[in-house]
Amino acid sequence: MKIMNCPLNGPRNISEFVYGGQVKTMPDHRLSSDSAWAEYVFYEKTEIGLVLEWWLHSPSSYWFIAERHNGSDEITRTFAPEAIFCDRVDFKTSEVPV
Amino acid sequence: MSDDAGLRTPPTRLSSDYGGAISIQDKTHKRRSGVRGIGASSWLKQQDLSAPDTPNRIILADNKTWVMSLSNREYWVLEPHEDADTFPTGRDFSEDGVYPLFCQSSHRWFVIAGEAKAQMMAKLCGVDLRSENFESGAVAQTQLALVNCIIARHTIDDEDVFSVFIDQSLAEYTLEVLLDARQEFLS
Amino acid sequence: MTRLKNDCFGQWIDTTQPKKFTFEGNVIEGFDGDSVASALLAHQVWVQSRSFKYHRPRGPLTLSGQDANTLVQSPKTPNLLADRVPVEEGLQLSGQNYSGWLGFDLSRTLDWFGRFLPVGFYYKAFFKPRGMWALWEPIVRRAAGLGISNLSVKADYTDKAYLFCDVAVIGGGPAGLHAALKVADGGADVLLVEQDPSLGGSLNYHAFSSDLKETQRQRDALIRNVFEHPNIKVLQSATCNAWFGDHYLPVLQGHRLFKVRAKQTLLATGSSEQHAIFRNNDLPGVVMCSAIDRLSRLYGVIPERPLAVLAGNDLAYSTAFSSHDAGATVVAIIDLRAQCDDQTLRAEAEARGIQVYAQCVVYEARSEWGAHRLSRVDVHGLHHDSGVGQKVASIDCGVLAMSVGYMPAYQLACQAGALLQYDDANAQFSISNLPKGMHIAGSINSVFTLSALECDARNAARAALRALDIAVAERDEAVDCRASVNHPWPFVKHPKGREFVDFDEDLQIKDIVNATRMGYRDIQLVKRFSTVGMGPSQGRHSALPTARLVAKATNRSVTQTGVTTARPPLTPEPLGLLAGRRFHPLRRTALHHRHLALNGQMIPAGSWQRPAYYGQPADRRSAIDAEVTAVRTGVGLIDVSTLGGIDLRGPDAPEFMNRLYTFGFVKQPVGKTRYAVMTNEQGVVSDDGVAARLSEHHYYVTATTTGVDQVYRDMLKWNAQWRLDLDIANVTSALSAVNLAGPLSREVLRQAECDLDLSPEQFPYLAYREATIGGIPTRLMRVGFVGELGYELHVPSPLVGELWDRLMTAGHAHSIRPFGVEAQRLLRLEKGHIIVGQDTDGMTHPNEVALRWAIAQHKPFYVGGRSVEILSSRPLERQLVGFELTDVSTQPMEGHLVIREGEIVGSVTSCEFSPTLQKIIGLAYVHPEDAAAGSQIVIRIESGVCAQARVVKTPFYDPDNARQSL
Repeated sequence: MKIMNCPLNGPRNISEFVYGGQVKTMPDHRLSSDSAWAEYVFYEKTEIGLVLEWWLHSPSSYWFIAERHNGSDEITRTFAPEAIFCDRVDFKTSEVPV
Repeated sequence: MSDDAGLRTPPTRLSSDYGGAISIQDKTHKRRSGVRGIGASSWLKQQDLSAPDTPNRIILADNKTWVMSLSNREYWVLEPHEDADTFPTGRDFSEDGVYPLFCQSSHRWFVIAGEAKAQMMAKLCGVDLRSENFESGAVAQTQLALVNCIIARHTIDDEDVFSVFIDQSLAEYTLEVLLDARQEFLS
Repeated sequence: MTRLKNDCFGQWIDTTQPKKFTFEGNVIEGFDGDSVASALLAHQVWVQSRSFKYHRPRGPLTLSGQDANTLVQSPKTPNLLADRVPVEEGLQLSGQNYSGWLGFDLSRTLDWFGRFLPVGFYYKAFFKPRGMWALWEPIVRRAAGLGISNLSVKADYTDKAYLFCDVAVIGGGPAGLHAALKVADGGADVLLVEQDPSLGGSLNYHAFSSDLKETQRQRDALIRNVFEHPNIKVLQSATCNAWFGDHYLPVLQGHRLFKVRAKQTLLATGSSEQHAIFRNNDLPGVVMCSAIDRLSRLYGVIPERPLAVLAGNDLAYSTAFSSHDAGATVVAIIDLRAQCDDQTLRAEAEARGIQVYAQCVVYEARSEWGAHRLSRVDVHGLHHDSGVGQKVASIDCGVLAMSVGYMPAYQLACQAGALLQYDDANAQFSISNLPKGMHIAGSINSVFTLSALECDARNAARAALRALDIAVAERDEAVDCRASVNHPWPFVKHPKGREFVDFDEDLQIKDIVNATRMGYRDIQLVKRFSTVGMGPSQGRHSALPTARLVAKATNRSVTQTGVTTARPPLTPEPLGLLAGRRFHPLRRTALHHRHLALNGQMIPAGSWQRPAYYGQPADRRSAIDAEVTAVRTGVGLIDVSTLGGIDLRGPDAPEFMNRLYTFGFVKQPVGKTRYAVMTNEQGVVSDDGVAARLSEHHYYVTATTTGVDQVYRDMLKWNAQWRLDLDIANVTSALSAVNLAGPLSREVLRQAECDLDLSPEQFPYLAYREATIGGIPTRLMRVGFVGELGYELHVPSPLVGELWDRLMTAGHAHSIRPFGVEAQRLLRLEKGHIIVGQDTDGMTHPNEVALRWAIAQHKPFYVGGRSVEILSSRPLERQLVGFELTDVSTQPMEGHLVIREGEIVGSVTSCEFSPTLQKIIGLAYVHPEDAAAGSQIVIRIESGVCAQARVVKTPFYDPDNARQSL
């Protein structure tokens, strides 16, 4: 069984982890076209190479990011999501609050 | 006469090198609380409780209170000698990032003692809990027989123990599994 | 029958401890330490099994569990390897795969018709015309069976355990012992795994020098050092059956499977001796040289009949000499080569009176009619161009020992991605491309002499230490590997065939060559077509000859053809070991034992156990009906602790709610609840629940039993990106809940000492309150769970038992009834409530299930919002509606199809007979044009019968929702 290094908990059996999809950037939902939105929702990178993925360490409910080669399956590094997501995200408020 | 020739060799007794039995105690009724949030460590200081510097450690904060860190903003306070008197309602949080946790209600607390406890746990858990790898003060958030758990190595009454915290809805299952795993260590 | 028992022979047996067992009904006496095969051979029982396809008699080949010629059966277990099973008093064994008796198999005649059973025969003959296989299968299976499974045995208690080490050394032969010591001396933690009952490997049986005692002294010292070393743990009679990612090694030992977690793997797995290929090379009595060595040195069994040796290397001579010295009659050495590497060997042979036939082959092995045992070999000359020449001699012998080559035990390395290469010119193997952290030493690395083995092992150990960041001062040693052990072409084709390449599958030279002629050039395709290497010995002896034959037939080198892929497991493994102790974690609510005491019939619900209903299974229907009636007319109590609960606390809690759920929550008043629907990014309905606002910055939201884990994870993941200021806590286990429902529920709650004004004015429908009930701190919600006046009560889990008892006591006078999942589902269906996951699927968007009302139209953002918007702009393809049938004889089931003009347009998602309404009600997806109340739909029920149903407005029961808001 593969071992993955959790930034919080250290190396653990892969069975302790849950895959959470690739790391993607959400386009502006008000401005993007239907097809650009569909692209964001449904498509993932499939070219051979390094991909960034969300992984959850289930016993600690800790989400982090792993960089993995999708050809060799080698996990090249794992790190806390703060490295990418450091600022608060706000969506533009609409005129009528509900 | 047995006829299980194919599997005749009995399991090597994992316990062969160890003396003494393994005890499993239920300390669910003992007091524990927890806080989470950016204000968690300063809150502990206000209570005159020292906290571990890094996640996944447990330290003796005063002579009978243990403080366990699960991340750098989540701490459990364990009092193995005090009976629990209240249960958290979740309402008493402060706006500056101190959120009380529900561990008195959500988890059950088992304490495992005995020289062969790491060997017994190896039947259930994928983390190496032998003392050379999991020294006193270490904490592992991991799985035990397919169930999420927290295992901490510390001392209670000068005895080296594993404190195991299990979701209360899976505690009976886990206890059955632990008792079954212990069977071969009873002489 | 006497056994040789001294310092060097019969090492493993204890002749003071006889053990009797039966084989084929005959009592056999062996000794403690014997394997079943060795004890049988001591009694001249050579035929121990029948072959798979032709039912040819077979006897031991390797005596080390490497071949399938010794598969025997116990009453409980089939396919036991007689050369691995230790004898034990009272053991009952028989041969397998024969009809009649082992000595005279009625199906033996299959062999005579062998030429009508070519490779691919089964594929070709039994599959046409279509459907024929069903007819043939039982006959073929009976003839080609692999023992009989006893289906009535009780499963053994099997177990798994992790084992942690720095370096796992696989193989306890000379290389493994030296490597283990070197690694352990360096300070690393070693696990040494040995397949045999004792350490030593070839040191136990191979005559490395003429001074057997000296070799044994060296061995004993090595083994002693290993056992005394504090850093080494030894597992004997243990098989490392695979290599998995990051050095995860399953090691089978007795009733236990060790899940070894190593940082490095050092393979000292040795090599397996290969057989020569000539006519009748499968006759019982034709064995490997190493088997004869094992037989005499380990078990003290010396061949009584004359022994001939077929040599392709110098190692064969040591078997001849030590057998001779032990008292066997060695009549001849038939050497494929013109001369030995060590020129003195020939003279030594002649000094012992053994005649050497140089540059000769065994052309054919023969047996006396009906004896099933080797009696004679025909020796022919061998020409320079590999052609077989004239007969030179006919030698009477009862045993022929072969040594023509060794194949590295490459399987674990190749499972890990290593490459096995073969140098055709020098007939040498090499293993390259080893993955990170894997090292090899010894004869797997084509090193065969003792001194070279030692150096090789130390080098591998150093590499392992360096990889562990342990400093190693010494340089690597030069390894001198002069010995050439592989004869380049040990094949002798015979016009009448029966030169077996694969004993397991009864494949001959022509079978492999014909496969290549039929166009199967690729070794993998040859394997699949001919089944070579697919038997229990997994190609340990057939892989190399097959590769050589295919290479020759297709004018390539063995390196070019390659060998077939090695996959786990290495040896057949009992499924019981993989199952281990069979963990099935099912969650129990804090009220579990109360349900059992009330005769609750527990069923799995997601990962939980919940009571389906209370009462005897025989009274199921009436119990459910009574529970429903109690809720509709009196009062009922249900454990809903399995509902998920999530606490959202902090300044950004309202904003977070607004983003996660479709409705607006910022303006939700404190003390009120709201229905909350969640969509995922695709706009599909993913969960629902009730959100209560406890305070300005505190929400408590419920989630479905099966959905809460995912909901909680999604929340954490979103906030890992948004970084809003709040705490998200999954309180599913911390809080337990019950729902008190029915027209009398207010009265019961009051009597249970709830310190709250329960009047409808002060605690109206959809309100949230906090109070104590008999001192228990409680979160109360008035929700329309089952469509009656009702209260959902959430309390700390350790207190829910007390709450339950209090409510049951207070409700006693009102005939309160606990109700289970079955009644709950029926009651909720009567109200037309959808269950996410049952009435929705992976494509359901809010418009299809009439949840448009639950979506706030003017929010800046919510997960899935944009996708819902896109979906809403398209025409609906289906809609979930309520339907009813008045004909109660035709109840549709969940999953039955809705048909419209011959096309499938939807399916039934829920359907029950409602005792309250006295008709069948249900929910189904229908064509949007049929969604209006009053439309007729067609549902195809069991056996193609079509039922007419009428679309009706939901709720079916109390359409004005008057009862729940009392």
